[in-house]
Amino acid sequence: MTTWLPNAVVEHLRVVATWPELPGERYVIDRPIGRGGMGTVYVARDTALERDVAVKVSNAPAPGGGLDDRLRQEARVLARLEHPGIVPVHDAGLLADGRLFYVMKLVHGETLSTHVARIEGEAAMLGIFERVTETMAFAHEAGVVHRDLKPSNVMVGRFGEVLVLDWGVASVMAKDTTLAGTRVGTPGFMSPEQARGEAATGTASDVFALGALLFWMLTGDAPPLTPDEATRRLRAAPRRPVKRLAAIVLKSLAPDASQRYAHAADLAADLARYRAGGPVSAHRETALERAGHWFVKYRTFILLIAAYLVMRAMFAFLR
Amino acid sequence: MAFGDLSEGYWRPSYHYLRLHWRLPADTAEDVVQAFFTAAFEKHYVERYDPTKAKFRTFLRVCLDRFVQNHQKAERAEKRGGGQPHLPLDFPGAEQELAAIAMQDRGDLDRFFHDETVRALFARTVDAMRRTFEAEGKSVVFRVFERHDLRPSPDLTYASVAREFDLTAAQVTNYLHAARRRFREQALVNLRALVGTDEEYRDEARELFGLEIA
Repeated sequence: MTTWLPNAVVEHLRVVATWPELPGERYVIDRPIGRGGMGTVYVARDTALERDVAVKVSNAPAPGGGLDDRLRQEARVLARLEHPGIVPVHDAGLLADGRLFYVMKLVHGETLSTHVARIEGEAAMLGIFERVTETMAFAHEAGVVHRDLKPSNVMVGRFGEVLVLDWGVASVMAKDTTLAGTRVGTPGFMSPEQARGEAATGTASDVFALGALLFWMLTGDAPPLTPDEATRRLRAAPRRPVKRLAAIVLKSLAPDASQRYAHAADLAADLARYRAGGPVSAHRETALERAGHWFVKYRTFILLIAAYLVMRAMFAFLR
Repeated sequence: MAFGDLSEGYWRPSYHYLRLHWRLPADTAEDVVQAFFTAAFEKHYVERYDPTKAKFRTFLRVCLDRFVQNHQKAERAEKRGGGQPHLPLDFPGAEQELAAIAMQDRGDLDRFFHDETVRALFARTVDAMRRTFEAEGKSVVFRVFERHDLRPSPDLTYASVAREFDLTAAQVTNYLHAARRRFREQALVNLRALVGTDEEYRDEARELFGLEIA
């Protein structure tokens, strides 16, 4: 009699038949947790250290290849970037069928795409964005450009950790293996020069993506093509930013790369100044705004003097 | 395509399709399946398949639809001549499966026929695995696979299967790897025998397992 397979078993077989066969006995695949164009990520048990890890395995090579090269590039980039905002790589190797895999820390959390709905207040939102910017500043300092920064590539962990994921199309400056004219990135979050397929995309392209990310966090949409439209949308945004913050976003989104912050570190510095209530390089202030900042900066001293003068006036009046 | 592959791979989906879509009584569906695959062999249906027009699965379903229409026009008694050859098909078993299938959404005929074809393909693959593992003296490998993958449950772990079979967790891991690899390889062999062209084979393999076949 022929075996009868219920739907659940058919689906289970379909899934497990394509699970990777990792060499040795150290890692035991448990379940897949995500599949992208380049690879599939599984939860696995590290039996040596008795902990759960994530294993990313390249999908079967597409005709023309390239997936393994990208995954190898990603593993090497991750290994070179040791930072709290970047998932650490523990191990890498080849499957019996020749595909590449690497083992990394398993992060419990959700992507910014879904997490953003639960962010309350500008301070919390900018706190997350600042962590992303700091991570990118570190990467730029190490000579790495991400080139595909977007909400689904930012993970917010269960304990508030913020990680930048998916470095598969990252470029190591002066050692870029991406072919000239190859367009990488995601529409809406890629810089104009990336959209044109220009080979010389640098840190300013990531700055554009950071600006697009902040624009998206403020408005809920990817930025439009023109600065005027972006300005209009920011003014109408549910989380309408003040002028200085809007200026930071717009400077990051400048169509001309030379008009943006050169590195993520410059953007991070301006953002830090904004959060401290100070002037930012992206916004030329009026005299009134400068006075306001001067007041904020020295408000304790000013208030003490004012109180002293009021008391003196009252004493003079009472005499 | 060999006649054995055609009938083994498609008779069960065809029977379920006739029972659920055409709503034929069980005995009529049995007769139609028998007659259809006999006619497919004698009249060389496979040679009429044009891969530029449709997948082989769709072609076969359309052939079956036409066959049923013609069958319904003719007198059943005349069509069921005593001299007709009969294939050794397990209709009582297929009939028992209807209760589970009847619960599914059957709105999309092509999808329904596809899903039933996959079910039959996997079942045939599992049966072949059982035979080959037993022949190789590795029936424990199949029994571990059967326990973990053919009767999955949320509380089942490699460790619990290991205890059940008096094995180590590492052995369970290795056995499951071996069995799954065998399943995938055997399923692909069976799949190739069921489709019309290499291109269709690659498409089906990609859809089924997400695999890119060179």
